[in-house]
Amino acid sequence: MPSVGTLAFDEFGRPVIILKGQDSKKRLFGIEAHKSHILAGKAVADTLKTSLGPRGMDKCMVSPDGDITITNDGATILSMMHVENEIGKLLVQLSKSQDDEIGDGTTGVVVLAGALLEHAEALLDKGIHPIRIADGYELAAKIALEHLDKIAEAYPLDLAKLDPLVNTAMTTLGSKIVNRCQRQMAEIAVNAIMNVADMERRDVNFELIKVQGKVGGRLEDTLLVKGVVVDKTFSHPQMPKEVRNAKIAILTCPFEPPKPKTKHKLDITNVEDYKKLREYEKEKFTEMIKSIKDSGANLVICQWGFDDEANHLLLSHDLPAVRWVGGPEIELIAIATGGRIVPRFQELTAEKLGHAGHIRELDFGTTSDHMLCIEECKKSNTCTIFVRGGNKMVVEEAKRALHDALCVVRNLVRDNRIVYGGGASEISCAIEVAKEANKIATIEQYAIRAFADALESVPLALAENSGYSPIKTVSDIKAQQIGQNNPRLGIDCLNKGTCDMKEQSVIETLIGKRQQISLATQLVRMILKIDDIRLPGESEE
Amino acid sequence: MQPMIIILKDGTDSAQGKSQVLSNISACQAVAEAIRTTLGPRGMDKLIVDNRGKATISNDGATILKLLEVIHPAARTLVDIAKSQDAEVGDGTTSVVLLTGELLKNARTFIEDGMHPTIIIRAIRKATALAIKKIKEIAVNVKADDAKEHRALLEKCAQTTLSSKLIARQREFFSKMVVDAVLMLDELLPLNMIGIKKVTGGSLEESRIVAGVAFKKTFSYAGFEMQQKKLLKPKIALLNIELELKAERDNAEIRLDNVTEYQKIVDAEWSILYSKLDKLHKAGVKVVLSKLPIGDVATQYFADRDMFCAGRVQEDDLRRTQKACGGAIITTVENLEDQSQQVLGTCEVFEEMQIGSERYNLFSGCPKAKTATMILRGGAEQFIDEVERSLHDAIMIVRRAVKNDSIVAGGGAIEMALSRTLRDYSRTVPGKEQLIIAAYAKSFEIIPRQLCENAGFDATNILNKLRQKHTENNIWFGGDILHEDVSDNLVAAVWEPAVVKINAITAASEAACLILSVDETIKVPKSSAEPSNAAKAMNMD
Repeated sequence: MPSVGTLAFDEFGRPVIILKGQDSKKRLFGIEAHKSHILAGKAVADTLKTSLGPRGMDKCMVSPDGDITITNDGATILSMMHVENEIGKLLVQLSKSQDDEIGDGTTGVVVLAGALLEHAEALLDKGIHPIRIADGYELAAKIALEHLDKIAEAYPLDLAKLDPLVNTAMTTLGSKIVNRCQRQMAEIAVNAIMNVADMERRDVNFELIKVQGKVGGRLEDTLLVKGVVVDKTFSHPQMPKEVRNAKIAILTCPFEPPKPKTKHKLDITNVEDYKKLREYEKEKFTEMIKSIKDSGANLVICQWGFDDEANHLLLSHDLPAVRWVGGPEIELIAIATGGRIVPRFQELTAEKLGHAGHIRELDFGTTSDHMLCIEECKKSNTCTIFVRGGNKMVVEEAKRALHDALCVVRNLVRDNRIVYGGGASEISCAIEVAKEANKIATIEQYAIRAFADALESVPLALAENSGYSPIKTVSDIKAQQIGQNNPRLGIDCLNKGTCDMKEQSVIETLIGKRQQISLATQLVRMILKIDDIRLPGESEE
Repeated sequence: MQPMIIILKDGTDSAQGKSQVLSNISACQAVAEAIRTTLGPRGMDKLIVDNRGKATISNDGATILKLLEVIHPAARTLVDIAKSQDAEVGDGTTSVVLLTGELLKNARTFIEDGMHPTIIIRAIRKATALAIKKIKEIAVNVKADDAKEHRALLEKCAQTTLSSKLIARQREFFSKMVVDAVLMLDELLPLNMIGIKKVTGGSLEESRIVAGVAFKKTFSYAGFEMQQKKLLKPKIALLNIELELKAERDNAEIRLDNVTEYQKIVDAEWSILYSKLDKLHKAGVKVVLSKLPIGDVATQYFADRDMFCAGRVQEDDLRRTQKACGGAIITTVENLEDQSQQVLGTCEVFEEMQIGSERYNLFSGCPKAKTATMILRGGAEQFIDEVERSLHDAIMIVRRAVKNDSIVAGGGAIEMALSRTLRDYSRTVPGKEQLIIAAYAKSFEIIPRQLCENAGFDATNILNKLRQKHTENNIWFGGDILHEDVSDNLVAAVWEPAVVKINAITAASEAACLILSVDETIKVPKSSAEPSNAAKAMNMD
């Protein structure tokens, strides 16, 4: 029931208008507002529920322009859904911030927040003050986080032995479309990260990893190039397709006679002058070529274009060249090859050249597409993951999946503690939280217990998506966890015959899990704290 | 028949007399009604969506009233006092509006009974003076000599403010942060020297304070990635110069009649830029920040010389950097070398850091660190926005408390004490004023009453207990929200600076007097509404 906005009457009983556009504004107040928020939150969470886990399904979204996206990445789905509702938008932001910070677990965090809201509804019906519910949730979240720290295991991070890392990446990729070649993708992700990781600072610079996709081939053809892949070809068809021991001049100035930036006009009054101009231009070209040759470069990469005349000159001087290379790519090439970006020809010297062992053009099937691949670079800590796939949707989804996997590996590099996936850590936390709940003397006890129930929503959804009877499976595992005091037991989604997630190597990062719980709790607090919602009516325009 | 004399423009709405006063009072009460549930630690938030669809979730009285777009003239007074309270002391905006509403409500019966408004106004003034005198009398001075105790005082004041906000659970953490930030400032405590930066993602506890300056990485050109990202004791130049290759004058045109001149012009342009860069380099500058863009040529030049640069830095960030690191904002690089001592700043460490998904430039260990930057983390954008508003309130309160160390107990305690004093006093007054001062005394009870109501307690019950305690001269007893009881709030460390209360009471009384003294409203109609609308529409096009 939408109640009318603030009303007051004057001495004749006429309503006084206090707020602008008062009649058209909508207002929800008190318990009505809470109910409507919870409903909205639940609706968003329900959409994502079926995407959870290795047996989760994908969503197909069609944008207003008719572009199709198929994905099961929570953050992507939500951002493409164009949620209108204000509370819905908060959930979208929630998954986005999980994506920004951790990169993985974007579905889980929304499902958890949805479950927390759902349980809050029951508590509200009992008459518990919404803030006390929120307080209880925060207490519970604290208990859960402490418990997570306790059950977390430090993970051997050994550069020589990458298997454990690969396993973690595989857990993430398990729920994605690429799980056909899960192992290969996981290895690619791990290798890429290891290539750029700064083990001293325990940091990974993502800008050094580029993920590029090209439709065609199979997913299995996806490869990791330790170097840079540029979607460009040599400027002249007769230039060699392969250069070894390349010395690269990286230019950000065009191959043409330099022009002043100030507006200028050259008055040519006679033929002599015209010829001189011609001479001048030609001279400039040769001068440029000469300065490149003098520096010892045998390959030119240019941010700008050059006309056919310059192109021909380059060819005749045996200088293979690439033109119109974008700014970020220029930068990547410069970092990879240890070269310097040169803004004008006069400054070109031998020290400023970049070095690469092997540069070649990649062909793709029967298409005329080519790409330039710069490998064996001098400072080869940039790398490019080159994704292939049958159609655009698959390539895009594979890119997203790889991004998630990269994030997970990066998080392990930053903090090598892990917890077990498959709902194992959630169940373990739920047990702990429920146990602690009984020790709380105040009303918050109810909220804490509700939090424990909400934590189980993740394993429940996993079991449901895997086709088990959810309640039975989860209660089974819960009993086993308590019986064996083993926090590693989770849902056996893939029917491998064991519930011990350590044996299945289903691993998630501790920071990811912690983030999920604390973000979801924060957001639920925010939603529960709102008791009054005012919406503008139909705009007058 | 006498001709009709038209004095006012046709359509002017005029209302007058007793009934007008009454209707104004109803309007004010309606506004107070709108924000009463936000008061106190169990206060709720409001979600307001404006016409453009931007949602704000807030608990701050001034913010809410601003967004409600109040148009009723008398009710606008309330919005104004909330704003002035916000500007003056930063906190207590909700209480000031509530107090005014309650004062008016209690005055209403007297107006209805035919008492003259001026008598009421006189009595209110008298009561206000008494109340303020009482506050000054009973306010506790905390010894400020001991730095540690002083700090504890500030933290407690900050905590009281934060307890009603979204971050109530983390109030200890944030109160420390706020106090740290304020204490870093110089004597004048300029508010704009505390920068607040928001990064979505991460948990609240990951928020941090930087003793110095931090700002987001600015837009950068190719070559930026090759620059040094960590510098120790760098010399910092703050510029207001464009370091880009461009036309020196926009409207200039160069006329050339000779080809040989051409190259000279080009060289001249380059040398202008290069001489600027050279001068910076020669002066030993390591970090270059500019308000204006820094172009790609300059970026690469700096990269070549292990310098760092950032263009298009926000003005206030630049100013704060200047405050922190010393130096001056330079508009020319001429003579830079000679004056380098005066105009260049420095700091211990400059670093670029990844925070969430953003990259930040951090200057720490600044010699003149009279500035601080808070980097806030949190789940959703609106969440952080509300955290920022809450911290703003806390900062304002701490600033007040630094200058003025007399405090009173919150949680309705001071209001109850004032109420009792005024009630006792009223008994000694002969005449009509007695009634009004008694009513004023009663109005103060709205604060503890509302606190209890918001928490879902039996307000009458708690108030009776409080009155009893106060008659026994326990002047610091107020509501205890956690235990649904009354307690000595001075001991429980629910503290507020006395000046906040004084300001609130003065503002509330003045507003009440103002509204009571109005007996006629003349509302001039919009001059011929139709054409003006059409004109507006035309302007919009």
